[in-house]
Amino acid sequence: MLLGPPSGIASPAAAAGDDHQQAVATLTDVKAAIGELVRVDASYATGPKAYHAAAQRAINALAGARGEDYVANAGTPGDPAGAIGHIDSLLDRAATPVWISSLRSAEANVRAAIIHLKDATKADELMDYAVAASRALTYLEVARGRPNETGVFGGLEGALANTELGIPADAQQQDACRAPSAAPSYGTHGGYIAWVALPAGNGTHDLAEPSGSTSLSVQNGMIVLRTAAARLVADACGAHAKADPADPPPPQAAASQVAASQVAASRVAATYAMQARSAASGASPPALYTEPQAEQGKQVFATQCVACHGANLQGTAAPSVAGNDFLVTAQHNGWTLEIMRYIVFDQMPRNSPASLSPQDDAAVMAFLLASNCYPAGNKPFPSADQTAFASIKLGPVPGQHPGRNAKGVCDVR
Amino acid sequence: MTLRQSLQATAALCAPATLGFIAAVSVAAGARAQTTPSGQDFVNAAGDTANWILPHKSYTGNNYTAAAQITPANVRNLRLAWKGNIEDTGPMEVSPIVYNGTMYITTAHDHVFALDAATGKPKWGFTDNPHVISFAANRGIALFDGNVYFGTLDGHIIALNAKTGQKVWDKLAVDDTANSFYTMAPVPYHDPQTNQDMIFMGVSDGDWGGNGNMTAYNPQNGAVIWRWDTVPGPGQPGHDTWSGDSWKRGGAAAWTGVTIDTATHTMYLDLGNPSPDFLGTVRKGANLYTDSMVALDISGAKPKLKWYHQFIPHDTHDWDPPMQPVLFTGQVNGQSRKLVAAGDKGGNFWILDAETGKLVDHTAVSFQKGQDTAPTLEGNIACPNTLGGVEYQGGAFDPATNNFYLSSQNECGFWKATKDAVYIAGEFYIGGSFPKLVGPDTGQVNAIDVSNGVFSWRHHFNLPNYGGALVTASGLVFSGNLGGNENAFDAKTGTILWSYDTGGYIQAPTEAYEVNGKEYIVVASGEAGNAKIPELPTDPPRPNSINVFTLP
Repeated sequence: MLLGPPSGIASPAAAAGDDHQQAVATLTDVKAAIGELVRVDASYATGPKAYHAAAQRAINALAGARGEDYVANAGTPGDPAGAIGHIDSLLDRAATPVWISSLRSAEANVRAAIIHLKDATKADELMDYAVAASRALTYLEVARGRPNETGVFGGLEGALANTELGIPADAQQQDACRAPSAAPSYGTHGGYIAWVALPAGNGTHDLAEPSGSTSLSVQNGMIVLRTAAARLVADACGAHAKADPADPPPPQAAASQVAASQVAASRVAATYAMQARSAASGASPPALYTEPQAEQGKQVFATQCVACHGANLQGTAAPSVAGNDFLVTAQHNGWTLEIMRYIVFDQMPRNSPASLSPQDDAAVMAFLLASNCYPAGNKPFPSADQTAFASIKLGPVPGQHPGRNAKGVCDVR
Repeated sequence: MTLRQSLQATAALCAPATLGFIAAVSVAAGARAQTTPSGQDFVNAAGDTANWILPHKSYTGNNYTAAAQITPANVRNLRLAWKGNIEDTGPMEVSPIVYNGTMYITTAHDHVFALDAATGKPKWGFTDNPHVISFAANRGIALFDGNVYFGTLDGHIIALNAKTGQKVWDKLAVDDTANSFYTMAPVPYHDPQTNQDMIFMGVSDGDWGGNGNMTAYNPQNGAVIWRWDTVPGPGQPGHDTWSGDSWKRGGAAAWTGVTIDTATHTMYLDLGNPSPDFLGTVRKGANLYTDSMVALDISGAKPKLKWYHQFIPHDTHDWDPPMQPVLFTGQVNGQSRKLVAAGDKGGNFWILDAETGKLVDHTAVSFQKGQDTAPTLEGNIACPNTLGGVEYQGGAFDPATNNFYLSSQNECGFWKATKDAVYIAGEFYIGGSFPKLVGPDTGQVNAIDVSNGVFSWRHHFNLPNYGGALVTASGLVFSGNLGGNENAFDAKTGTILWSYDTGGYIQAPTEAYEVNGKEYIVVASGEAGNAKIPELPTDPPRPNSINVFTLP
C-alpha cells in the first residue's frame, strides 16, 4: 500500500482505518467466494462432489463461521468473520455514513447469493448446479460492485473507490474542494473521495483499491486520479462556495449537501436502470411513427401478416409480435429497433421475404410500434434505415396506456 | 381453451353434439389395466394392434400395423367414427398416442388432451401457452411410468399424471431459451442393462444458431442421464469438417425422432441441416454430423458413435433429413438384408445397410434442380423448397410387397444469401432469406421397390402430400393430402380406394389402433401453418380437428 501513513501528518479520521480494514476484508471474502465458483468451473470435474464442495466453501466465505449456513468440514477460502460478519460490524453504528447504502446493498446481494448457493449444494446434476451457481454469481458480482459507480450500484468496490471507506488508516487526506498540495493523498469532502493524488516521480505507484477513475491529470508534479464521486463533490463544493464564498463550510453542512446530491444521483441512476429494464428511453420512449401510418400498417398487416401472427398479434403458427410476450422476449434477447426493422424489411413475410414495398414495410413497423404502445409522433417511420435505430432497445413501455389489453397490446384504430 | 367434441353416430347426416369440455375427469375405474406401457411393451410395440404407443408405431420407426380388419375390399365403407374440434391455433402435426382405449394428443401451442379413443370424449386437458420462439408445433407425447411427457416451445419438459392430467414436474431442459425449443415427441426407453428408465428428447435449435443434441432424461425428475452432442467439439473426430469457430453455431438439430434396434442397443438418428443455412462460405467443410444419419451404441453409460452417413455434405439449402429412420428387413438382390431408410428435404430417399451405414440405394423422389449451386446474393432457383422433398411424417415398409412407402413434395424456391450471417438471439440464423416459392406446388405418394430403388407406383396430386404413409397388413396405404383429403391406396397398385375430406389441411401422419377389438384410423387436420402455399384457398379458415374413422 503505497498510500500508507505519510510521515508527520496526523490523520483527521483515525477510526476510519478500522472501517477500511473491515471493508477490504468484506470484498476479499466476496472475491474468495467468486473465485471458488470460478475455480471449480475451470476444473471440469465430472462428479458432483467437487461442485457441492465449492458451493459450500463459497457459502462459508460469505456467511462466516457464525452464520447458520456455515459447514465447518467443507473449509473456507475466506476468513472466520465472513463477508456478512464484516458488513454487520460496519453497519453496527449510530451514524449513517455515505457508504451505508452501498454496504446494505452488498449485504442483501450476498444473502441472496447464499440462498442460490444452498441450491447448488443440493444440485443432482451439472445443469442444475450451473443454474444455481450462475444466479449466485450474478448477485455476488453486484455485491462486489464497480469502482466507477457510487451508491447501491457501486457495491463494495464503489464504496472503496468513492467513499472514505477506501482510505487506509493514517493516510493523508486533503480538502477535495481544493487542488491537491501533496502526494500521496486523498481528496475528500463530506465522506466522499473526489481524487487520489500520487507523486509523479519514477517508480511504481500502487493503489489501495481500484479508483474507477475515468480521468487522469498531472498537476504540480502530481498525478491526480478523479473518482466517480468527483462530480458530486464538485457540485457540493460549488454550492458551498455560493452559500459562503469566504469560508469553507462546516463539515456537517457539507455532508448534508453531498447527501442531497447523492439522493439526486441515486434517482438518476434509478431512472437509467428503469430505461435499461423497460423501454427505449424510459418515461418518454421515442415517437417513431405517425398515427395515419400505423392505421395504414394495420391494413397491410391484415392482408400480409395476419395468417401466421394472428389478428390479436399473439401468433398462430408464428411468434407473437406485440404485447407482453413479444416485448419481454425482445428485451431478454437484447433486440433493438434496428433488429426489428431488419426482420420486418428483410425477412418477412417468411414465405416471400422482402416482397413488400418499403412504404408498406414502414407502415407495418408503425403499426407494430403502435400496438406495442410506443407513442405516435409527427414524423412517419422512415423507409430507409437509420443508425440511431441500433441504440434504441425494445422493451415494455412504462406508463399508463388506456387502450392496452390484457395481453399488453395497445389498440390501433 | 377447450376441446369441443362432436360425436357422429353415423357418417351420413348428423348434427354434431357439442359438449362442454370438462377438465380432469378421471378415467373410469374398473379396468385394472396399467395406465402406461412398460419398457417391454415398447419393445413389443410393432405387433400390438390395439395400441399405438410410440410416435411411429414401434422403435423401428416403421408405420406398419398388423391390424387387418380394414381391407382393400371393405375400405370403401370406412366412415367417420368421431371428430374432435380443437380450439387452438397453429398447424396440427401430432402423432397421437393410444393406449388401453385412451388417446393422447397435442396441439401446436402445447395443449395436451386425453380422450376416449372410441368416442372422442375428453378425459382431461392441460393447457400450456409458452412463448413461441419461431413457429408453433407439437408432434406428440410419451407415455411412461404413469406419466405423460411432452416438450414445449419454450424449452421445458413437462410430466403430467397420465390419469388426471395434473402436473407432476416441469423442468427447463434447454441450455439457451433464446434459440432452443422442442417440437418432437419424447421417446420412452427402458435400458435393459441398467434397468434405468429414460426419456429421449432432441432439441430444435438448428436454424436459430444453436447446436443439436440428443439427451436421455430421468422420467422421475427430468435429470439428465446422458447427452450426445451432434456437432463434434474441439479434439473430437469430425471437428475438422468445420472452418474456424463455425461449429459453435453449426446446427445439426435432433428434431425428428428416435429409432432403436433393441437387439443391438443401437440408436439411429437423422440430424438437421447446418447453420447458417444458406451461407456456406462461413462454415467451409462437410459440417459433420449435419444432414447425416448416425448410429449410436447406447449399451454403455454414454452413447458411442458406431457410424455416420452424411447424405448432403456442406448443405446450403436446409435440406436435412426430417424423417425418422425406418429400420426394416427387406429383400435386395434376392437376399434378406437389415436396412435403414430415410428421406430428406432435398427430395432424396436413401436406403442404407443398418450394420455399416453403407449406401444400398438412392432414389430421387421429388423434382430436383440447381442442387449444386449455393444461394447467391442476387438469388437463384433450386428445388425442392425448404418444405419440399420428404418431410417428418415418416415412411413405411411392407414385407408383403417389399415396397417402401413415403410421400414427397415438388416445390421450387428462389433463394438469396446474405453477405454475412449475424447471430441475433431469438431470430433465424440462416445467412439469407427463406426462399420464395416458384412454380406449382405438388406432391405424391410413392411406392419404391426396395430390391432396386425403382418406383412400383406413384400417385401424383396437384397439392403437396405431407401425410407420410401408414401401411396395413391387409394391403392398404393411408396418407393425408395437404388439401384435406385422407386417402387409402391399394398397396400393390396405388389405386385410391377411399377418400374423405377432413375439412382441414393435413400435415400429420395417419395411425391405426383398436378399442374393444374394433379397428380405427386416426389423422389430425387443420391450419396450414408453415405449409401455406398460394394454391390453398384463404377462406374459410380451416378448423383444427382429430378425425377418427372406422367400419360401420
